Amino acid sequence: MRVRATIVAVALGAAAFAPAAAELGGGRRGLEADRTHLTATIASTTVATHQLHTLTLANGDVVREFATADGTVFAVAWDGPAHPDLRQLLGPAFDTLQAEATTARRRPREAMTMTNDTLVVRSAGHPGAFHGYAYLPHLVPPGFAADALE
Amino acid sequence: MRWNSRGPIIALLVVLAGCGGGGGSSSSSTPGTVTPPTTIVPPLTNFAALIVDSGPAAIAGGPRAYIGDDIPYVTLTICVPDTATCQTIDHVVVDTGSVGLRILATVLNPGIIAALPQQKDAAANPVGECLAFVDGYAFGSVRHVDLKIGGEAVGNMPIQVVGDGDRFAAVPAPCSAGGGNSLTAVKDIGGNGILGIGVTTNDCGPRCTVSGGTSATAYYDCPPSGCAAIIARAATTTAPFQQLPNPVAAMAVNNNGSIISLPAVPDSGARTLAGTLYFGIGTQTNNALGSATVVATSTSANGSAGLFTVVYKAASLTNSFIDSGSNSHFFTDAAIPGCTDTNLKGYYCPPTPLSLALVVQGRNGANVSVALPLFDAKPLLLGPNAAVPGIGADPSATASLKPVPRSFDLGLPFFFGRNVYVGIEGRTAGTATGPFFAF
Repeated sequence: MRVRATIVAVALGAAAFAPAAAELGGGRRGLEADRTHLTATIASTTVATHQLHTLTLANGDVVREFATADGTVFAVAWDGPAHPDLRQLLGPAFDTLQAEATTARRRPREAMTMTNDTLVVRSAGHPGAFHGYAYLPHLVPPGFAADALE
Repeated sequence: MRWNSRGPIIALLVVLAGCGGGGGSSSSSTPGTVTPPTTIVPPLTNFAALIVDSGPAAIAGGPRAYIGDDIPYVTLTICVPDTATCQTIDHVVVDTGSVGLRILATVLNPGIIAALPQQKDAAANPVGECLAFVDGYAFGSVRHVDLKIGGEAVGNMPIQVVGDGDRFAAVPAPCSAGGGNSLTAVKDIGGNGILGIGVTTNDCGPRCTVSGGTSATAYYDCPPSGCAAIIARAATTTAPFQQLPNPVAAMAVNNNGSIISLPAVPDSGARTLAGTLYFGIGTQTNNALGSATVVATSTSANGSAGLFTVVYKAASLTNSFIDSGSNSHFFTDAAIPGCTDTNLKGYYCPPTPLSLALVVQGRNGANVSVALPLFDAKPLLLGPNAAVPGIGADPSATASLKPVPRSFDLGLPFFFGRNVYVGIEGRTAGTATGPFFAF
């Protein structure tokens, strides 16, 4: 787990030099890339602890991106009938999740999840009804209530 | 438990009035003998045998071998349409959490897979499909079969052949972008295929009736170069089909839903458990709704269909569902000790059996209290029994930081000792209209 955490940190560092990339840990310019890729409309609000960008997709999914004051996306949550494009939404963290999902010993129907110091993913549901979230613990702003992800 | 009529019912012998008159019959009987005209009411055939056992042999050997635990199976037959070229397939997982029949390409006889007609799109190319699951995705071709299951049949019905080769060998990017594994092996799904009999009429519904987009679950145009463009497919339950239908919804009769009927299981489990999958609700003498409580669920118009609320420890879990394809309950409760064995990561191992107090709330106002037993998963899962009661797992599979959002997944142990009714969206069963679960 520690090894993977290091890899994530390196990947995120690289992302900082390419802020146009759309991903968890990326900047606000990534939002536009997500909107285009996911064929979505965006509604944005700012609350005390974070910015909330709600993407409503044509396929019925709702994706919420949580960003810090400087626009860095630290969490993504999804809910809806079609499984979201996590490769797009998670960026480098997607590879970390995939590494966990494809190597961990698993029984059928165990959802993709993982927990380490730099990436937490929860997902659940069944075909036609998916929900879950992913966040980068080290980027979560002070005072952010994780309940907001649910 | 509240159910006992199974198998051939009563063959009624109805002797018609006036049979002694002898006039007007075209009978070829020998003159002088009387053959009374009779009407035989055939025995009911709207059911198939269910079995919970250790699963197909392919999961028991080699790397990642395991014993199937709490997976309900049915045996069915698929035929090349309008021919006698058929294959009977055992250990198909019965899944109320998905819709459509999917068979792994690896279990099909070469002769069958060569002969099963591919569904073609407007460009005359074969149609491919991706279906997203919570642990990965199934990609493959759409082919048509004559389906026979129990005493029911559906002609020329599309199924997904998962892991098909040739132009279907490469998984399109939107399909894999949801993450997880490509589910192509018997071990990946715990069976030779999946019989999805959930609450919707089709496996994708209105979302797949438009082309384009980036959804993981989608239909594809598949020219020889491979499957790339997402195409529109109609959601119908009669021929000519396009999307995979719910096989129950596509039956000529008994098509408003189904019932999974499994007996109770001893606390220590059972090697095998036999039950019945009934087709139709309130359509025959063997599938009455009876005193079951109807729990209406969310509909396709709500986005995700089939969801209701479970109140558990004062939390309203609004994304809850009943899923025969989940082989334990999946929920998060940091107060219950998790198992410490590496192989049992994520499962709950309470030192003494628990009775979890749930209130199931339907969208129709139904309010049902459920006492859900939860046992130490370790002796049950490490033992030889395939049907084990009341096991649960935390889907986060680690020390819990946060629960999975608002969800209690009632898996197969919920089905033991009760009849669970699955009402299909838009279909009526007495005064109830699907989508609903009832128990």
